[in-house]
Amino acid sequence: MESSIGKTFKYIAVIALIVVVVWLLVLLKFIIALLLVAAVIAYILDPIASFMVARGITRLQSTILIFLIIGTIFGTLLYLLVPSLMVELNFLQEGIGGTQASELLTKLEHTIYETIPVLSGQELNLYDKLQGSLQNLAESFFSIIVDLVSVFSTMIIIPFAVFFILKDGHKMKKNLVGIIPNKYFEMFLNLLHKVDLQLGGYLRGQFLDSLIIGLLAIIALWILGVKYFVLIGIFAGLANMIPYVGPLAGMIIAASVVILNNGSGHEIASVLGAFAIIQLIDNILVQPLVLARSVNLHPLIIIFAIITGGEFFGIIGMLVAIPFTGILKVLSIEIYNSIKRFNMI
Amino acid sequence: MAEDPVWSNIFKKHRVVQENIFSVLKRLPIFQDLGYKELKAVERILHRRTYRADEIIFKEHEPGVGMYIIESGKVNITLGKENKLLVLLSNGDFFGEMALILEGQRTASAIATEPTKLLGFFQPDLFNLLETSPKTGNKILTRLAQMIAERLRLGTIENRQLKTKLNQVKSELDTLKKAKK
Repeated sequence: MESSIGKTFKYIAVIALIVVVVWLLVLLKFIIALLLVAAVIAYILDPIASFMVARGITRLQSTILIFLIIGTIFGTLLYLLVPSLMVELNFLQEGIGGTQASELLTKLEHTIYETIPVLSGQELNLYDKLQGSLQNLAESFFSIIVDLVSVFSTMIIIPFAVFFILKDGHKMKKNLVGIIPNKYFEMFLNLLHKVDLQLGGYLRGQFLDSLIIGLLAIIALWILGVKYFVLIGIFAGLANMIPYVGPLAGMIIAASVVILNNGSGHEIASVLGAFAIIQLIDNILVQPLVLARSVNLHPLIIIFAIITGGEFFGIIGMLVAIPFTGILKVLSIEIYNSIKRFNMI
Repeated sequence: MAEDPVWSNIFKKHRVVQENIFSVLKRLPIFQDLGYKELKAVERILHRRTYRADEIIFKEHEPGVGMYIIESGKVNITLGKENKLLVLLSNGDFFGEMALILEGQRTASAIATEPTKLLGFFQPDLFNLLETSPKTGNKILTRLAQMIAERLRLGTIENRQLKTKLNQVKSELDTLKKAKK
C-alpha cells in the first residue's frame, strides 16, 4: 500500500517536473534559440580553433585570435557596405514617398480613365490609397525597429556565447560524457562522433555555400550597377539554402529591382545571366566541394520547417530553420541506428 | 605544525595524482613513444570512468569503440554465457585495444570485480587526434599496429601448432579405425 502510494507520488513528481521544464523552455525560447545559434556558430568555427591548438597555442589564445580575425573581416565589410546599405534604405523610402511617385500615379489614373470610360465617374484616389498603405508600412517599419533592438542585443549576446562555447566547448562535451551512466556511455560517445561527422560536414558546407553565393551575388550586382546590391546579395546567399525556390528568389528580386528602375532589356538580361552563372558555379564548383556530406531534406519538410521557424522565433527562426531541421534529421537517424546496434530495441 | 601557504608545497597532492596517471600511461606499450607534452594531450582526451564491484564494463557481441586502461582495481575478462574466465587484469593493464582500429563486436565480456577506476581511450578521440596532431596520432597508431601484429604472430604460431596437433590426432584416429577393421 505504502509503496504504491510512494510510486504514484513519484510519477506525479516526474510529470510535474517535466511540465515545469517544458514551461520554462517555452518561456525562455528566445534565449534558448540564441544559445542554439551561438552553439552552431561555435561548432562551425571549432575546426579552426582545433587546428590552431594543434599548432601549439592555447585554446583561449586561438579563440581570441579567431574573434580578432572575424572582427576585422566584419569590421571591414561593415565599413565598406554600411554607407551603401544606408543609401539603399534611403532610396527605398524616397522611392515610395517622393513626388515622382505621385506624378506617376496621376499619370496612371489618367490612363485608366481614358482606357476604361466606365470608371470615369468614380474617384480613384490612387495616391491617397497609397499614402494610407504607406502609413501602415511606416507602422510596421516601427515594429521592425523594435525588432532591431532585440537584434542589437542579439548581436552582443551571440558573440559572447560563441566565445565561451568555442573556448570551453570541449570541456563541456567531456563533462556531459562524464555524467552518462556506464551502461550507455560507449553508445553515447559513439553517437556523438557519428552525429559530429554528419553534422560538421553539413553545417560547415551550408555556411560556406551561403557565404560564397552571397559574396558572388554582391560582387556581380555591384559590377552591373544594380540598386540595393548588398541587400539582394545577402538575401540571395541565405535563400540559397532553400532548394529550387531559393536560387530563383534572389534572381527574381534582382530582376524586379532592375525593372522597377526602368532598366533596359539588356540590363535585365545581364542580371539574369549573372545569377545563372552564379548558380552554375554553385552547382559545378562550390557544392561538390563543400557539401560533401549533404543532408537531404524533402522540399515539403523545408517549407514546413521555415514556416514553423517563423511562427516560433520570427525572422531569426526562418533563417536557421533549415540547418536545425538538418540537425534534427541527423540526430534522429543516428540515435535510432545506435539504439538498434546496441540491441536496446 | 600548520602548513605554510607560501613555503610548503601545497600543490603536491595534485601533482602526485597527475604523475601517477602519467606513469600509468607511460608504462603502456601504446603510449611508449610519446613525450610529456604528447602524453598530456592524450590525457586530455581520456575518459575517466568509475565502476562498482560486479559492474559490467562491456558485454560480448556489443559493438565496441575503444580500449580501457585500468588505473586501479581488477577486471575479469570472460567468455560466453557461463562467464568462463579468460584472464584477470589489474592496475596498469589494458584491454579492448582492437576496437580502436576495427569497429566491431566485442569478442569477450569485461566485468569489474572490485571498485575500479578505468581510463577510456576511444576511436573517435583517436581519429580526432590523428587529424589535429598527426604526429602524436601516428606514434600511437604505429604502436597499436605493432601490438596487434604481435598478437597476430603469436596467434598464427598457436594456430599452426594446433593444426599439427589436430592432424596428429586425425592420423592416430585413422590408424585406430583401420586397426578396428
